[in-house]
Amino acid sequence: MNPITVPSISYFTMAPMLVLFVGSVLLMAAASLLRHRLPEVVSTATSVLLGLGALVVSILQWDHLIRHGSSSTVAGALVLDGFSVFVNITVSCAVILTALVAHDYLARLKFDSAEFHILALLSASGALIMGAANDLVVVFLGLEILSIALYVLVALNRKNEKSAEGALKYFVLGGFSSAVFVYGIALTYGATGSTNLAKMGTYLSANVVHRPGLLLAGIGLLAVGFCFKIAAVPFHMWTPDVYEGAPTPVTGFMAAVAKVGGFVAFLRVFETAFSTQQSTWAPLLYTVALLTTFIGATSAIAQHNVKRMLAYSSINHAGFILLGVVVLTKAGFAGSLYYLFTYSVMAIGTFALLGVLGGARDEDHDLTSYRGLAKRRPGVALSLALLLLAQAGMPFTTGFLAKFGVIEATVAHGEIPLALLAMVSATISAVAYLRVGIVMYATHDVPTPVSDGSSFKDRAEGSLLLEVEPVATTHEVPVAPTTGLAIGICLAVTFYFGIAPGALLDFARQAAQLLR
Amino acid sequence: MVEQKAVDTYLPVLLLLIVGILFASLSFVASGLLAPRKKPTAAKLAPYECGIVPDREPPTRFPVRFYLVAMIFIIFDIEIVFMYPFAVVFRQLHTFGLVEVLTFSVTIFVALLFLVSNGALSWGPAKILTKGMPSRTSDSTIVRISAATSTEQAA
Amino acid sequence: MLHAAYLIIAFPLLGSLLLMTFGRRLGEPVAGWLGTAAITASFVVAVVVFFGVLHAHQTDCIPGLLCQGSPIAPGSLLNDQFVQHLFNWVNVGGFHANVDLLVDPLSITMCLFITGISAMIHLYSIAYMHGEEDFTKFFIYLNLFVTSMLILVLGGNLLLTFIGWEGVGVCSYWLVSYYFQKDSAASAGKKAFIYNRVGDVGFLLAIFILYSQLHTVSYVEIFQRAGHLSPLWATMAVLALVLAASGKSAQIPLFNWLPDAMEGPTPVSALIHAATMVTAGVYLLCRLHGVVNLSSTGQGVICGVGLATAFVAATVATSQSDIKKGLAFSTVSQIGFMVLAVGTKNYEAAIFLMVAHAFFKALLFLGSGSVIHALDGEQEMVRMGGLRKVLPWTFGTFMIGWLAIAGVPPFAGFFAKGSVLDGVFAKSPVLWALALLTALLTAYYMSRLFYLTFTGEERFTAVGPNGEPGIEHPHESPWHMRFPLVVLAILSAAGGAIDLPWVHTWGLDTFLNPVFLTTTPAATNSGSTQLFLAIADAVVAVAGIGLAWVLWRGKAARPELTPAFLKRVWFWDDAYDAVIGRPATALSKAAAIVDDEVIDGAVLGTATLVRRGADQLRKAQDGYVRTYALSIAAGMAAFLIYLVTRVFS
Repeated sequence: MNPITVPSISYFTMAPMLVLFVGSVLLMAAASLLRHRLPEVVSTATSVLLGLGALVVSILQWDHLIRHGSSSTVAGALVLDGFSVFVNITVSCAVILTALVAHDYLARLKFDSAEFHILALLSASGALIMGAANDLVVVFLGLEILSIALYVLVALNRKNEKSAEGALKYFVLGGFSSAVFVYGIALTYGATGSTNLAKMGTYLSANVVHRPGLLLAGIGLLAVGFCFKIAAVPFHMWTPDVYEGAPTPVTGFMAAVAKVGGFVAFLRVFETAFSTQQSTWAPLLYTVALLTTFIGATSAIAQHNVKRMLAYSSINHAGFILLGVVVLTKAGFAGSLYYLFTYSVMAIGTFALLGVLGGARDEDHDLTSYRGLAKRRPGVALSLALLLLAQAGMPFTTGFLAKFGVIEATVAHGEIPLALLAMVSATISAVAYLRVGIVMYATHDVPTPVSDGSSFKDRAEGSLLLEVEPVATTHEVPVAPTTGLAIGICLAVTFYFGIAPGALLDFARQAAQLLR
Repeated sequence: MVEQKAVDTYLPVLLLLIVGILFASLSFVASGLLAPRKKPTAAKLAPYECGIVPDREPPTRFPVRFYLVAMIFIIFDIEIVFMYPFAVVFRQLHTFGLVEVLTFSVTIFVALLFLVSNGALSWGPAKILTKGMPSRTSDSTIVRISAATSTEQAA
Repeated sequence: MLHAAYLIIAFPLLGSLLLMTFGRRLGEPVAGWLGTAAITASFVVAVVVFFGVLHAHQTDCIPGLLCQGSPIAPGSLLNDQFVQHLFNWVNVGGFHANVDLLVDPLSITMCLFITGISAMIHLYSIAYMHGEEDFTKFFIYLNLFVTSMLILVLGGNLLLTFIGWEGVGVCSYWLVSYYFQKDSAASAGKKAFIYNRVGDVGFLLAIFILYSQLHTVSYVEIFQRAGHLSPLWATMAVLALVLAASGKSAQIPLFNWLPDAMEGPTPVSALIHAATMVTAGVYLLCRLHGVVNLSSTGQGVICGVGLATAFVAATVATSQSDIKKGLAFSTVSQIGFMVLAVGTKNYEAAIFLMVAHAFFKALLFLGSGSVIHALDGEQEMVRMGGLRKVLPWTFGTFMIGWLAIAGVPPFAGFFAKGSVLDGVFAKSPVLWALALLTALLTAYYMSRLFYLTFTGEERFTAVGPNGEPGIEHPHESPWHMRFPLVVLAILSAAGGAIDLPWVHTWGLDTFLNPVFLTTTPAATNSGSTQLFLAIADAVVAVAGIGLAWVLWRGKAARPELTPAFLKRVWFWDDAYDAVIGRPATALSKAAAIVDDEVIDGAVLGTATLVRRGADQLRKAQDGYVRTYALSIAAGMAAFLIYLVTRVFS
């Protein structure tokens, strides 16, 4: 029998995921061994501290990366490079922000707070694994760790039918897409003889594939798997139901972490392994990106539920981020990474506000309940309006620079029609954001057309913005200090880096350059 | 030549496929050949061939905890799947392997701990309901079971 | 001292800002005093800067300052110009425009009379606008106007001048429409604005042409590089400038907004529509004399426009019954003279006439304002007459203004107009003869206006032709209205002294000479010719006055001398209405259909399309997992089908 060579392991590379993972296991042990429920403060603090720890380690990794360049470990299955550190930093930030947002929410809805934090930390560690994975099997591993924790998180609101429904849909479809993804791994393994991305890339650049059927089918199936995870059209249909059903902080967490993990793995797999086949798969993703931006934007404006609207808007954003994958240039990567970071921050902030506005039971997400919000709660309304405008791409916010970055990369790559159409979709989606703003700021004296629940087109011309019924005020949930802090951070990041974008842009550019 | 070899490697799979199909179809054939050739009567099709003829559908509901236990079992079942190959190459892997497997086991054990602490393995009503109930008598057991049923229904 | 130049603009700007912020709280009359103080301060600064320029003029270079002429020998083109750089403004690609102030004899001369007369008129307005509802607003506009005018004059490049140019345009619009409740005032404002916009197109074209050819908008650089202009482009630029000037300075073909602009309050007419803003076109042509000099065709056009305007407006002025309209046409005519002077390259004369005209026309307008004030707003001369006794101060000062504009020696008008006519004679005796005829008409119509207003019987006590009640006790104006009249009367009487024709060692001509560096055309006339011309001017002035005395003594109206053709401005407005107005309206109506149906249709259609699409998508999202899975499967199938085609292609 051949002796088994134990691969060398760099724990430094794995440190952020270990911090989150071990932390969550310890938290789980503590929660099980204590006689009483773990106090909310303890689990939130643990989560925040773990996030901070992961962030610090990630920053050390960045420093190491700048000085020593990228490296791989565990027999080339995991890498330490620009992408992975970018994911580490983004996800660590998302964990901290989500923990802050969830603190008050969990107490208010009487959820088991430890459970939430354990699952969120596990899910985040899955995203980190996806970010660092240099092997399709490890990508899959990360994907599943990320997803399975999310399925449970979505179902956390047991008193709400929609939560269970969303979770089940997510689970069934997620299982379906995972199967497709695994099949894709199998086929590409069959075609290239390896699941290691670097080896696949080397093989494909060194050999001409005479019968590419197997390989292309594998690439296609992998693309389906990724497209499902990032909610690209036509694999997006779970998104609105899941986003709507999930407890609102979870929605924000999903929008941030799941997208980051999925996209970075997507970028890495298609860049490292399949860049030689770009001419083949680029038209596919081109079409998908176009459909995603347009269907996301168009559907968003027809929604009456703000969470659903934001779900579609996240689809629109996914289309923009996908542009970076389509062009597969350094500038495109930088654009996508920048977009991912800024969108994560904006999404967590926006959903945090939605969690506050959802009322005591997190159920009032209908647009009608936002009427006259600017008068009732000016601070909340202003914050929401600003974050939504940032999502729409208002100048002096990161949202503008994010869109600008990917569009610039797309134009530089010569895909001018794609860039133009994406911008058109951004215009359409802006209607959806502005609609919320107008509803908040147009107070009661706006004439309200009678809505009999009839379909959309029966209503008066141009009433798109105003078709909301008088408000039924529920008792308001105050903004807790932790939630306020998180929202403040999100706003500050969105505007600070919108006005002085240098540092963040450099970070994204360098991360894109340092791809292994 | 390379093509030839590839086919060779897949031959067992093909054979398995053929055997599987053959087995399934032969089972049907055999069953058809061997089974008594009588038309089934209503009494034959009843759930119970003897005893009282049920006047309503037998209750099909049972506590979801059965599933829970089954799921927990599967996790440990799969753990065993990993344990066997580990045991085989235990010596070659040295300390590294031991640490890895311990980590793996500890993780799963902590998960079990969490499940137990949340009452996944405690039969009867959920923790919340047991509070404030009388100590266990035959009467209280009935109350407990009905409470458990109602919580299951509520869930 | 020159460094204080920015303060000339800063004071009125500060004044307007203060009035905007606190004006309503200050109320009448404090707001008026504040406005007046701001302009007065600006005037003081202008005087200081003027002495700075004068000193530099004498020493030929400005010690310690950027002497634009330093690389070039003293006495050359760029001498006596001081550029004050305030801040960088536009710096895009190869295009640079800074906020620079160009201080030279020309701009400081303009500043002096603009701020001086503005201060007088502000003071006058405090009394004139007494009791108006929007008293504060009036002074805000007025201060803003002065700010814009000074930016126009001091701007160191075409772009900055354009800012001022537009600023005065919009202030003029606001002030003409000051009584916006009146339909006529509102439409007069619009008319003024639209005519000005047509002129602005000319200005913009001129900027484009000069920038495309010379790659700069800065005056100093334009002067340095003007030689690179090809004759064709020079002519194009000059023609564009003429269009610009004809809009702002009310010249043919864009002159007929000015009489309508008299709907504004009389101080506005005096300041904006007589003394300052309307001379902006002439200023622009003088400022860009380096370009004008290059095109003889352009000069010919300028001469033609100036002379035609002067003549047409003079004929029209003979038939006006409204005192302010009469003065308005006389303004048009006088500016025609200035433009004529520019056309003969006699820039110093144009500026001289501009200054002198500013004195006496402001005086005449303020005088007429005093009359109107006394008669409770009556402007028809039919209802005046005999005001000599009632308004002694007004009468006396108005008489000086009248004699000045008529060209009677030794008043300012005689010398100013004389120097223009000298230049014209040197260029062409035929043009001179026409100009002299116009001068005769000037003397005639001004005398008619004067007689109708101040002499004869007192018609205002009687009931008016349209049944207006008689005015019982007209009264002389308060001191803050009389004071400006007196000051301006003195200036009108003695203003000629700033540039006497037989003195060549000092005076406006010598002061301006470094800017223009043209040989004075008058110098080409020999001493005896000059004397003959002067006598001719004086004779014509006296003849005009005499003719009017014969025809209009003791009369109130003579329909045979005021035919409809002249009353209706040679049917100019009617022609515009027929040729441009009606077809344009028809075209607009047609375009409105396109807008309503095609463009709105496309926009709403797109919106509807998007909405329908959204609706369909919503239906597709039916909530069943099987549908979602089907969608995934369909997408996967599409992926695979596409990839299969790639395999076999």
